[in-house]
Amino acid sequence: MRWPIPALLLSLLALTAPLQAKEELVTLPKRDTVQLTIYNSVDLTLVRETRELTFKKGNNRLQFSWANTLIDPTSVEFNALTNPDKIEVLDTSYPAESNQMLIWTISSEEAVSAKVEISYFTSGISWGAEYHGMLSGDERSMKLTAYVSVSNRSGEEYENATVRLVVGSINLVEEIAALGGGGRQERMKEAYGKMREADAAENRKKDIVKEGLSEYYIYTVEGQETIPNQWSKRLESFVQEGVPLRTVYTWDARKYGAQLVKLLVFKNDEAHKLGREPLPAGIVRLYRDAGQGRLGFVGQVATNYIPKNDEVKVNAGADPEVQLKSKRLSFKKENLTFGWSGNRQYLAGWDTVEGFELELKNFRKRDVDFEVNVVLGGDFDFDSETASSKIDFQTQRFSLNLKAGENRKVAYTVRTRNGSNVRNK
Amino acid sequence: MNKRMIFTLAGTAALASVIGISRPTTVEARIKLATLPDKEAVVVRFDHPNQVLVEEERTISLQKGVNTVDFSWAGTNIDKGSIVFRPVDVNSKVEILSTSYPPGEAALTWSISSPDARSEKFRLSYLMANIQRETDYRAIVSNDEKTLTFRHYFKIRNWSGGTFDSADFITRDGKTFEKGLDQGEAKRVLVNKWDKVNLNKEYVYDLTRQYEGKVMTDYVLKNTKEMGLGAIPLEYGKVRIYQDDGKGTTAFTGEDWGQFTAVGDDMRLNIGIAQDIKVEFKKMVNDVENRRGNVYDTNEVDEYEIKNFKDSEVELTLVLRVQGEWEMQKDSEGYTSFERVDNETIKFKVKAPAKGAPVKLKFHYKRLNNW
Repeated sequence: MRWPIPALLLSLLALTAPLQAKEELVTLPKRDTVQLTIYNSVDLTLVRETRELTFKKGNNRLQFSWANTLIDPTSVEFNALTNPDKIEVLDTSYPAESNQMLIWTISSEEAVSAKVEISYFTSGISWGAEYHGMLSGDERSMKLTAYVSVSNRSGEEYENATVRLVVGSINLVEEIAALGGGGRQERMKEAYGKMREADAAENRKKDIVKEGLSEYYIYTVEGQETIPNQWSKRLESFVQEGVPLRTVYTWDARKYGAQLVKLLVFKNDEAHKLGREPLPAGIVRLYRDAGQGRLGFVGQVATNYIPKNDEVKVNAGADPEVQLKSKRLSFKKENLTFGWSGNRQYLAGWDTVEGFELELKNFRKRDVDFEVNVVLGGDFDFDSETASSKIDFQTQRFSLNLKAGENRKVAYTVRTRNGSNVRNK
Repeated sequence: MNKRMIFTLAGTAALASVIGISRPTTVEARIKLATLPDKEAVVVRFDHPNQVLVEEERTISLQKGVNTVDFSWAGTNIDKGSIVFRPVDVNSKVEILSTSYPPGEAALTWSISSPDARSEKFRLSYLMANIQRETDYRAIVSNDEKTLTFRHYFKIRNWSGGTFDSADFITRDGKTFEKGLDQGEAKRVLVNKWDKVNLNKEYVYDLTRQYEGKVMTDYVLKNTKEMGLGAIPLEYGKVRIYQDDGKGTTAFTGEDWGQFTAVGDDMRLNIGIAQDIKVEFKKMVNDVENRRGNVYDTNEVDEYEIKNFKDSEVELTLVLRVQGEWEMQKDSEGYTSFERVDNETIKFKVKAPAKGAPVKLKFHYKRLNNW
């Protein structure tokens, strides 16, 4: 048996020794199974481990310590999985000399062997998602590969653990890292060799099973994983070929500044061959097929959690071959109204009437879609012969398609009422 | 072999038997038995406006079962998250099982399963920072200023920390050139050359540009096939302009920044001031009228006297600006055409006769509803 360093030490103390005794005989039962449930919305992992313990009749003392790890002491629980009716925790003491140890006094009705589960929260283990999209030559579809990466900075190495990843946001009133209190000890471990051993045991890609649970999704990684302290590991979550993709050249000064940006849009739904589960937050990187399997980089975006049926937009930046220019072609003041202050006449209200022209140019050799968001302010009337839709109280949107090589001009006028001309609504 | 980027292939069994240690004790001191597969077919791609993608191929000898391949890039600027690794053969039976990242190292290890012992060619792609690019142009204008020879250069400088013994560099418009490039080294390559490109020379008096009050000389290149260009969009870059002096040599006549010019668009290059054309501005009328309370109109006449001291007639473009609400009056005169470019901008074309004979542009307008 190899001594774990830094260790979750579970030792069965030779029974009758009172706490103040100087001599102790301890046995170190090994960890049989371990399951990690890792949350990504908060720094929290639920660890459940099982061990086979032998109890003598009467009182047994069981010491559990976790030096140099990030375990929350308030969360440690003991649970007998077999013979639960015979085994009972009488008390839990936290010795004054160590804040990273507890001792359970456990009474057993008879001498029995039992499988026990010890569970606790730790911080320092995290997971995240990453996505790689390979666009087809015409940028109308892609092969999407999703990955999950698990990083372990908890101070403890969990060997051959079952790994479950929780997608969703849970509520915590205190941070586990603060409750752990042990500080982050940056220690390196016998990591490399063991990792290889664990890898060598598997010779095919692991499945990641996704199941819904209340407001959350749980991803379970097939088989067992060993992630040494300080290491990260990335596994493929799913691959989907032929995900349809739309390119929309978008003008939205509030989101992307005063420039036309190329957005690649897909939805997490069945029509896009996705939608089996929500997509956890992560970086989406898009590459295009540059011929003969070679890649070109298209763009990347850090997305939030994408629920089923929601949309993902990847900003590929400005495309100099697709252009939009906006000009104010005319400006007039109308409906001047005057008031009197004593015997002085003054301007009280007026309208401004502005004519704008959007000039769209598509120098590309294929059709492109545009979405131009015009933001207006005050008491205005918007008018255009080109169809547009109202997005919110101050935004009108033109959705347009331009053929390869086409130039088009879109005109609109805005009448804005000022001063006493502003209407009551 | 690249000195900085070490691509190592480590086998568990071999490691244990050769080194004689079953477990290295710390990660910093990872003991590796490394075979060093050569980089093949390296491609450096500049098609994204601000990212550089590097691709390389490596042939790796795999054993049956699970193999561990270690890739490290100490001292180079590789974006770890962008790394894409896959067999070149899309139907390969070899699978990448997982990727692991050791602490505190610019490195990763892939766990790769192979159905048999074989040599497999892999392709590795990643974004690399600090490879700078620059486009510049050299134009040699004919003696009569009707055509030019246009050379397009692409310059790269490598601050990435990596070294390229030989790589295909691919520009945005798909031109490929093969070069070696050391860390810190720069190379400039001629990627395109176009002969007999038609050229328009324009004299411009433009209050929206610098050199206020002076007449600028512009060359305008239309990026179209008819005008001798139009093959690719022209990237932003400095254009140095030389003119054939008719004696077999050239003279440098100026330089300007060429803006990105899509196919079909114009590239306008200012080569300097036209000293032989003078413009004198006078405001002849500036009256307030139609006063209503605190609101009024103004009636204004601006006069531009143009003298062309050259031996032949020229056409001068005047780009003038008036703010706010205004209307041009019908008795404006002295121009051959005008265009209201936008609400604030109006462009007149005026023919200026040779040898200093003055011509006057009268620009009469009313500004309305001022307060």
